[in-house]
Amino acid sequence: MIIITRANVSDSEIDHIRERIESVGMRTHLSRGESRTIIGCIGDESLLQEVPLRSLPGVESVMPVLKPYKLASREFAADRTIVRVGGRDANASFGGSEITVIAGPCSVENREMLRTSAKVVRDAGARMLRGGAFKPRTSPYAFQGLGAEALRMLAETRAETGLPIVTEVMDTRQVDLVAEHADMMQVGARNMQNFALLAELGRVRRPVLLKRGLSATIKELLMAAEYIMANGNHDVVLCERGIRTYETATRNTLDVAAIPVLKRESHLPVIVDPSHAGGDASLVAPLAFAAIAAGADGLIVEVHPDPECALSDGDQSLAPSAFATMMEQLDAFVVATGRTMGAPVHARAVA
Amino acid sequence: MSDMNDEKENTAALEELARCRAEIERIDHEIISLLAERLVLGKRTGELKRAAGLPILDPTREAAVIRRVTTAARDAGLPAEPVREVFWQIVGMSRREQEAR
Repeated sequence: MIIITRANVSDSEIDHIRERIESVGMRTHLSRGESRTIIGCIGDESLLQEVPLRSLPGVESVMPVLKPYKLASREFAADRTIVRVGGRDANASFGGSEITVIAGPCSVENREMLRTSAKVVRDAGARMLRGGAFKPRTSPYAFQGLGAEALRMLAETRAETGLPIVTEVMDTRQVDLVAEHADMMQVGARNMQNFALLAELGRVRRPVLLKRGLSATIKELLMAAEYIMANGNHDVVLCERGIRTYETATRNTLDVAAIPVLKRESHLPVIVDPSHAGGDASLVAPLAFAAIAAGADGLIVEVHPDPECALSDGDQSLAPSAFATMMEQLDAFVVATGRTMGAPVHARAVA
Repeated sequence: MSDMNDEKENTAALEELARCRAEIERIDHEIISLLAERLVLGKRTGELKRAAGLPILDPTREAAVIRRVTTAARDAGLPAEPVREVFWQIVGMSRREQEAR
């Protein structure tokens, strides 16, 4: 149930409405927008039967939320959510008028390649750096990532380049360690329904990049976001990264329709991973253009200084020059959707 | 000359920073002992509720506590929403203690 308040509602009227709802054992969530304020009710809605919601002072209307996700639903928020990442020295945001591009190598292989990748993507207009420290690989014999050492390299690279970092957390045991270094915590497609991990990320107040599972429905993705939000963390960015279909010519099938559907169903920002969706470097740019045209708030792209020598996902990684070309071409699509690319992150003095 | 002034200002700032941090640490300790005190009283109310035959969970009372601290926070110039969250945690902690006996 959501309660839409009158335009001139006072703080004490809002307090009173919330007290009445909370008195029956439910919890409330307040969302203040530019033109309206919404009070969302969380819990067993049958309890509300005894509360005369419509007649409380300050209430304009009462609407049921029939969806199983509440906090993540569009109805619960007065305005679209803007997720801010990073601190004063290195920051980015998702969901505003600007398109935010995250780029970097699939995995952190060594300090030098990470530094090179970071500079290359920053100069081409990326606002954030990606890089895997812990890698969930299909084969237990494949490169598993450098772990804690990679996290330290990522933090050093942030200090050098001014790019905030996003990296994957695979396990509840890694949450605190990753949170110590990363500006944004990524939940990989294979972990989308690892509910213990989602609950833990709800506890750690750090923005989360939640990737859609390769066989997950849109509803399941939103329920996964709800898990994080219900545990206290409302800074969630959704990521469409291709789903498994009968098609074998591409690694996955980018579900372009998921972008407008997610934006209709939820107030959370939506970004797209064209690298994993196609699984092929030549598909990255076309899929990126499609994503932006469909209303995505950003992209996460794999870029490697030398894709042929990459320890993981070399086939889908863009070479620096291809990434720079794509970023230039992207401008036209961004402008066509009425948005902007945002100012590039300039080099900061290195101490 | 201006370099020397900068250095002086830096030293002064660092000294005050250390003092602020020590003060914050002291306040944190105070918050912890106040929480402990509140929890003891919470446990006692749990015993009294049992003696009086009242249920432990009292949502009306919890809602009133939250409303009161929301108003107090606003009056003190604090952001109300985070304070509400903190107090829901405190109220929940107290309730769990009461339920555990």
